[in-house]
Amino acid sequence: MRKNNRELLAGYVDGELTEQERRDFEVELAGNPELRSELAEFERLKEVTGMAKYADLPDEVWESYWQSIYRKLERGIGWILFSIGAIVLLGFGLYEGLSGLYLDPAQPLWLKVGVTAFGGGLVFLLVSYARERLFAYKRDRYKEVTK
Amino acid sequence: METDVALVMSIKTGNKKALGELVERHKKSAYRMALGLVGNRDDAHDISQEAFIRVYRSAGTYDESQPFRPWFYTIIANLSRTWLRKRSRRENRMVDVDDVSYLLVDERDPEKVTIHRETVARLNQALLQLSFADREIITLQHFRGMSYDEIADLLGIPKGTVMSRLYYARKKLAMLMRLNDA
Repeated sequence: MRKNNRELLAGYVDGELTEQERRDFEVELAGNPELRSELAEFERLKEVTGMAKYADLPDEVWESYWQSIYRKLERGIGWILFSIGAIVLLGFGLYEGLSGLYLDPAQPLWLKVGVTAFGGGLVFLLVSYARERLFAYKRDRYKEVTK
Repeated sequence: METDVALVMSIKTGNKKALGELVERHKKSAYRMALGLVGNRDDAHDISQEAFIRVYRSAGTYDESQPFRPWFYTIIANLSRTWLRKRSRRENRMVDVDDVSYLLVDERDPEKVTIHRETVARLNQALLQLSFADREIITLQHFRGMSYDEIADLLGIPKGTVMSRLYYARKKLAMLMRLNDA
């Protein structure tokens, strides 16, 4: 079937053709059994989808819908403020703790080495994990598949 | 009554009341749109709410010379795609094909309800097996009742593309219904 007929078929079923297009298509239809069979199939499909409707949500869900969004928005702002505060406090704590540790000659070397190893290991693990995730994502053949 | 665009411009300044009005205006259509795309009521509810939160947060990037609906629809479609991808990873499948509860039989014709119920169950399953793009176009035309011009505006594609996408989506849907029937 020519591409044009496919488009016209869809438009014919949905009553979206102009008068001229409709007349031309009906002429084509009269001499094309394959097209008639597709038309019957599409009309049946239209009938079937016409039997169905989307399931609605209960009234109480709609009544509290906006409040629920409002709460989520408020919580979002709360989380942003909390995160900023946590980063600042954590950064300050780390700076104070580490500078106190490394700059204090009274602190034993084994403690400095231990803390350095702990911190370095943590960073190493995080980078390795992030790289693994990135690698897996890039090689995921189905990442664009939605079905 | 303020236009949608005017409301988004108010939201840009942090006006939550304007967001509330926009929510009241579009909540049902947002939910139904998401429902058609993800095929699950709870997810559709969450996606529609998240879409309004995104509107609030991204209002600053909204171009007021553009209509609101296509912008909002893009947010819903993107969220639905991400949702399905996450769910597919989590459950190793796109959608719960056993969940036949999101499409119901229209009971305006009580005599035919039983026959219709079986057909709608098959339709339900077939729709969930379609690709995202095919389900999208079927949802917009068959279940949202949108005209080709409206769909073309919403998706930002030519009317001819709407027609050919509908043709192929319907062919696949009809084939899946036959397969599920066999």
